[in-house]
Amino acid sequence: MLTKFETKSNRVKGLTFHPKRPWILASLHSGVIQLWDYRMGTLIDRFDEHEGPVRGVHFHSSQPLFVSGGDDYTIKVWNYKTHRCLFTLLGHLDYIRTVQFHHENPWIVSASDDQTIRIWNWQSRTCISVLTGHNHYVMCASFHPKDDLVVSASLDQTVRVWDIGSLRQKSVSPADDLLRLSQMNADLFGGVDAIVKYVLEGHDRGVNWASFHPTLPLIVSGADDRQIKLWRMNETKAWEVDTLRGHMNNVSSVMFHAKQDIIVSNSEDKSIRVWDATKRTGLQTFRREHDRFWILAVHPEMNLLAAGHDSGMIVFKLERERPAFALSGNSLYYAKDRFLRYYEFSTQRDSQVIPIRRPGTASLNQSPRTLSYSPTENAVLICSDLDGGSYELYIIPKDSIGRSDFVQEAKRGTGGSAVFIARNRFAVLEKSTNQVLVKNLKNEVVKKGTLPIPTDAIFYAGTGNLLCRSEDKVVIFDLQQRLVLGDLQTPFVRYVVWSNDMESVALLSKHNIIIASKKLVHQCTLHETIRVKSGAWDDNGVFIYTTLNHIKYCLPNGDSGIIRTLEVPIYITKVTANIIFCLDRDGKNRIITIDATEYIFKLSLMRKKYDHVMSMIRNSQLCGQAMIAYLQQKGFPEVALHFVEDERIRFNLALESGNISVAVASATQINDKDLWYRLGVEALRQGNSGIVEFAYQQTKNFERLSFLYLITGNLDKLSKLMKIAEVKNNVMGQFHNALYLGDVKERVKILENAGHLPLAYITASVHGLDDISERLATELGDNVPSLPEGKTPSLLMPPSPVMCGGDWPLLRVMKGIFEGGLESAARGGAVDEEEDVGGDWGEELDMVDMDGMENRDIEALLNEAEREEEEENDDGLGWGGLDDLELPPELDTPKVSANARSSVFVTPTLGMPVSHIWSQKSSLAAEQAAAGSFDTAMRLLHRQLGIKNFAPLKSKFLDLFSGSHSYLRAFSSSPVVPLAIERGWSESSSPNVRGPPALVFDFSQLEEKLKTGYKATTSGKFNEALRVFLSILHTIPLVVVESRREVDEVKELITIVKEYVLGLQMELKRREMKDDPVRQQELAAYFTHCNLQTPHLRLALLSAMGVCYKAKNIATASNFAKRLLETNPSLESQAKMARQVVQAAERNMTDETKLNYDFRNPFVICGSTYVPIYRGQKDVSCPYCTARFVPSQEGNICTVCDLAVIGADASGLLCSPSQVR
Amino acid sequence: MAAGPDHLFNLRNNFYLGAYQTAINNSEIPNLSPEDAVERDCLVFRSYIALGSYQLVISEIDDAAATSLQAVKLLAMYLSSPANKESTISSLKEWLADSTIGNNAILRLIAGIIFMHEEDYNEALKHTHAGGTMDLHALNVQIFIKMNRSDYAEKQLRVMQQYDEDHTLTQLASAWFNLAVGGSKIQEAYLIFQDFSEKYPMTCLILNGKAVSCMQMGNFDEAETLLLEALNKDAKDPETLANLVVCSLHVGKSSSRYLSQLKLSHPGHVLVKRVSSAEDNFERAVQSIA
Repeated sequence: MLTKFETKSNRVKGLTFHPKRPWILASLHSGVIQLWDYRMGTLIDRFDEHEGPVRGVHFHSSQPLFVSGGDDYTIKVWNYKTHRCLFTLLGHLDYIRTVQFHHENPWIVSASDDQTIRIWNWQSRTCISVLTGHNHYVMCASFHPKDDLVVSASLDQTVRVWDIGSLRQKSVSPADDLLRLSQMNADLFGGVDAIVKYVLEGHDRGVNWASFHPTLPLIVSGADDRQIKLWRMNETKAWEVDTLRGHMNNVSSVMFHAKQDIIVSNSEDKSIRVWDATKRTGLQTFRREHDRFWILAVHPEMNLLAAGHDSGMIVFKLERERPAFALSGNSLYYAKDRFLRYYEFSTQRDSQVIPIRRPGTASLNQSPRTLSYSPTENAVLICSDLDGGSYELYIIPKDSIGRSDFVQEAKRGTGGSAVFIARNRFAVLEKSTNQVLVKNLKNEVVKKGTLPIPTDAIFYAGTGNLLCRSEDKVVIFDLQQRLVLGDLQTPFVRYVVWSNDMESVALLSKHNIIIASKKLVHQCTLHETIRVKSGAWDDNGVFIYTTLNHIKYCLPNGDSGIIRTLEVPIYITKVTANIIFCLDRDGKNRIITIDATEYIFKLSLMRKKYDHVMSMIRNSQLCGQAMIAYLQQKGFPEVALHFVEDERIRFNLALESGNISVAVASATQINDKDLWYRLGVEALRQGNSGIVEFAYQQTKNFERLSFLYLITGNLDKLSKLMKIAEVKNNVMGQFHNALYLGDVKERVKILENAGHLPLAYITASVHGLDDISERLATELGDNVPSLPEGKTPSLLMPPSPVMCGGDWPLLRVMKGIFEGGLESAARGGAVDEEEDVGGDWGEELDMVDMDGMENRDIEALLNEAEREEEEENDDGLGWGGLDDLELPPELDTPKVSANARSSVFVTPTLGMPVSHIWSQKSSLAAEQAAAGSFDTAMRLLHRQLGIKNFAPLKSKFLDLFSGSHSYLRAFSSSPVVPLAIERGWSESSSPNVRGPPALVFDFSQLEEKLKTGYKATTSGKFNEALRVFLSILHTIPLVVVESRREVDEVKELITIVKEYVLGLQMELKRREMKDDPVRQQELAAYFTHCNLQTPHLRLALLSAMGVCYKAKNIATASNFAKRLLETNPSLESQAKMARQVVQAAERNMTDETKLNYDFRNPFVICGSTYVPIYRGQKDVSCPYCTARFVPSQEGNICTVCDLAVIGADASGLLCSPSQVR
Repeated sequence: MAAGPDHLFNLRNNFYLGAYQTAINNSEIPNLSPEDAVERDCLVFRSYIALGSYQLVISEIDDAAATSLQAVKLLAMYLSSPANKESTISSLKEWLADSTIGNNAILRLIAGIIFMHEEDYNEALKHTHAGGTMDLHALNVQIFIKMNRSDYAEKQLRVMQQYDEDHTLTQLASAWFNLAVGGSKIQEAYLIFQDFSEKYPMTCLILNGKAVSCMQMGNFDEAETLLLEALNKDAKDPETLANLVVCSLHVGKSSSRYLSQLKLSHPGHVLVKRVSSAEDNFERAVQSIA
């Protein structure tokens, strides 16, 4: 039983849940009805109008009403909104036991000790039916949730089921007058509209309670015979099904659970019992010490129950509703019903993984409580409260997702909690000894350790670490070092949520959230009045959490706020940007999109990412008093300024942030004296005397103004002020100003005008204004005051101002980030764009380059090639250096006599190195070379391809050999371990069985090279192209492919490459022969007969055409031109040139010189002498590259591939294991 | 499992995982027992040796130091001057024969390492086969792997696993063993290195371990990334260079730069030796075929 809420009060006799709100009504023996919010735990209201105990109370399902009935024989209907009793239904003649609203009709059913059940219409406020038949107190009566039935229980030992079908007819269709008349008669002569359908007899004592099953035709009843009986009914009869025995005293109340297949009952034996409704066995018993139970209520929608007893009531749940889940990267594993399920966040795909053991029905609360997942091993650890805490370990088979229904035998164990601490290790808490057992996936104990504090639960805290929880404390414990890495005093922690980077942790307790670092350094604590339910970290380090009714956020600095309210509790599983993934209580995955603006804004502000703040200010509508207050409180009034429309607030914020100009604008708008004053003060503080003056002027504060003029030395304005004062008849002001100005005459004049003649006289005489003083003296006559004797008067003259006019040096006002922010953001954007453009430009240029290459005319092509050639020669020099290396003596040969004996220990003989296995197994040259058996490899190549010249293959051999092993530094300072790299590895390869060596050459590389070769040819870099093609030709003998099809491709590649090598060799030869134009033409002509790619063929034809044309062999040239045109050249320049040549040839179809070239007669070219071998003539060929030669070349090394002996016997290329098999 | 905290845990871990400088920097640990202090010094000096500072070790350890430290000094001398290795080996043998100190675990360990360098596995095992410390067992695993006797290596590994399966050396040794036997076990080796990289700061050793596992699985691209990361950490690490040579060959890039670098900085490296012997081998094979 999970108690959610408890009250202390007088005996509770009636209870009812509000169908929507978290409210419960409790009617007390004292006559009071209490309205509680069980979520907040507060008493909302009390209704105190009944006299004596109130035994029945019920909420209306949709209207703000409830009904109550008590020992004062009255039924009262209340409106809880207006807090008023609307009316009272009178009629019963004794105590009223229960009252209930009908779910759709405006009816109330009541049961009373007067042996009747009454049905009332609360709209007409009349009794519409009296159900008589019971011959003792009726203890309980209730409507059927759907049908027109009422069930009642009475101390006459029966349960009765009443049919009220006709009552409904009467209320629904009162149209027919005749019918109505008869009904009225019936009404008059005693209820026929409610008849007893069944009388259920079986209890041997009075029955206290009976209730219907919410969906099935079942009734459950509880009686003073301490028994609970289950009854079934059909259309015609009802019968007793079973009896549940167990209560030790009168059963007070019994009902079916709304959602589960269980029966709940309570009794005066001070216990609540839970029964399995199908097996009809007791599941659980909850006892109280002293309180007898009187009443039970189930929530119509939620999984909640309430029970009333002698000294209060409790609201409780039978089972935990939080689904156990574990997060793993982008997916979620969770337990639902009897399955482990898998949910992928990105695709929102939800699938069933494996069945897990069905929670035993022997008692409740055995469903999975926590779940821990190891992604690499695909293992799941499920903990439950079964057997006082136990775990089950399942390995998820790789291929069975969603398919099998077979429950695998899980590995089990007992323990307080179990959690994965590494890929293949999990820790199990042994509470009795306060030890932790580290186990492997075979469920074997690997290690045992004592925990540093008395621990009642353990949580994951990074690989190899545990977070141990005790009542008031958590610690992080490193299992290997046996060290406490950090500890923190906390309230009882229920859940632990690590941030994605494992740097921060949120500790959730019932009403607190504590954020701490990974070493448990406290960062902030939040207190919630509502229960905290779940939480997750978003990508920015904001902790998003839920309470029972809110989604909230918590920033790293401890600021928190509400994101939105919730209808039902949810359990957050993951937060990405503004999407919250969560599980609800039914174990369904849900997605909630939230408005993250507010907390992202605050976060940016906190992290001082002002550019981000600025862009948010510009682009989103976040506003409101709360936000402004927040900004002000956090010391960002200047940011708040951006949001505010209201001038007065703007003014305040502007003043606070020292933004005088905005303040002035606002002050002008409002034109309030007080604001001007405050503006003046701030302006004065900053030293902005212009604004000070303006402010004082606006408020007509002349005294301050004149003082301001005095200190700023603005004497003109000061004298003006004096005049104003004169006009305004402000003598004092006038005098002050005169004093400030040092204008003695004016002062005297003022004093005189004001009638202070003696003062005027003294002033004048002291300042030596004799004429005036004399005049005044005469006016004063006898009353001339005497100046004090013996004192030398000093004159009061104002000092001359240090500086006049203008502002003082202004205080520097903190500004810039935000004003500047806007600008710099804009500038940043511009620069970015420019950079982008730069990138594109570069690419364009490159393309131009390549096009240019193709567009070149022949001359340019030639020049280019010649230049290349020179560079090539330069390169050649650089390679010499390699040969000079000193080679250390061979070390690789295994030592002999390793099996010498020592007295105690027999050293095992050396095993066979992998390379030996390779060389024994393989018949492919490449594999032999990789294994280091060069001689075998060479013999193979000689036999297969007639290769005799191995010099070009040296680097390939060495590469193969070097690439066959990787190097593992094992023990410090000890020799490195070379490890043989094998080819074709797969997850299922069995260990200790050696695959063939991994080779550094593969066919796809060669295809890449071929493309490079083509490209080099296109751009006229013939030397480079030749090198590339030759290297292909030199690599092919050492390539290994898998399938026969690939073998054919390799053979095809040899032919392709050979043609290019031959052609390019001829072309290069041609360029050497500048002085032999005939040979030049011939070679150019032969080149066109190599099997080339069309673009290359065109270039070759173009070149041959050019050479012949220049040598005036017009006819031959025109032949090339025609062939060129046949290829449909894509470049107009080529086509044009060819057409010109053809035209020229038409005029003059002759050849100047005779060439050894007959294009009408098919021929091949000798690879060494470069002469045509026409069909029918004898030739020999290279066994490897298939190049043809004149017979005289037999026995020489092939000049095309530079490897094989011309005309040698050979068995053919063997390059695939599939050929060997 | 001992109850008290293990003060040297971090130091040992750093040393095993190749974070030698970190090990040296964090070696000041208060309140060590005398035995622990000697072990600490051994680890520190062995770290210096691993970093190539042989002379420092030779001059720092005086003749009065504990046997274990003398043994470490011997290793430094052996590695620093290959020319004088005969004398070093003879004094090593002398000490080993001395019944009072011959059983010292560190001395036996050093003996194992030196004889392994000599490729005299018989002699090496004579001193190490009995085991006694995790180090010795781990060395045994390596010797057996070197001898291509993975069956024996596995037995040693079992011993280690029984003693402490989660010990860093046990994990490392399983990784070596897994790599040596190959097949599906390579994945486990990769995961072990992966675990290390999650738990501890990255070192060249861990990165190389991961890279080697990748190469064994044919995943040369990932291996290259890892190795370049390792090269960033230490541009002269011989294994990184050697593996980069191998890896470059497989991804079809030029390896000559790394190879010349390796030849310059570590002329005695296995790869260098293998390549040069292979060149000889090639010439000889050409002769024989002609």
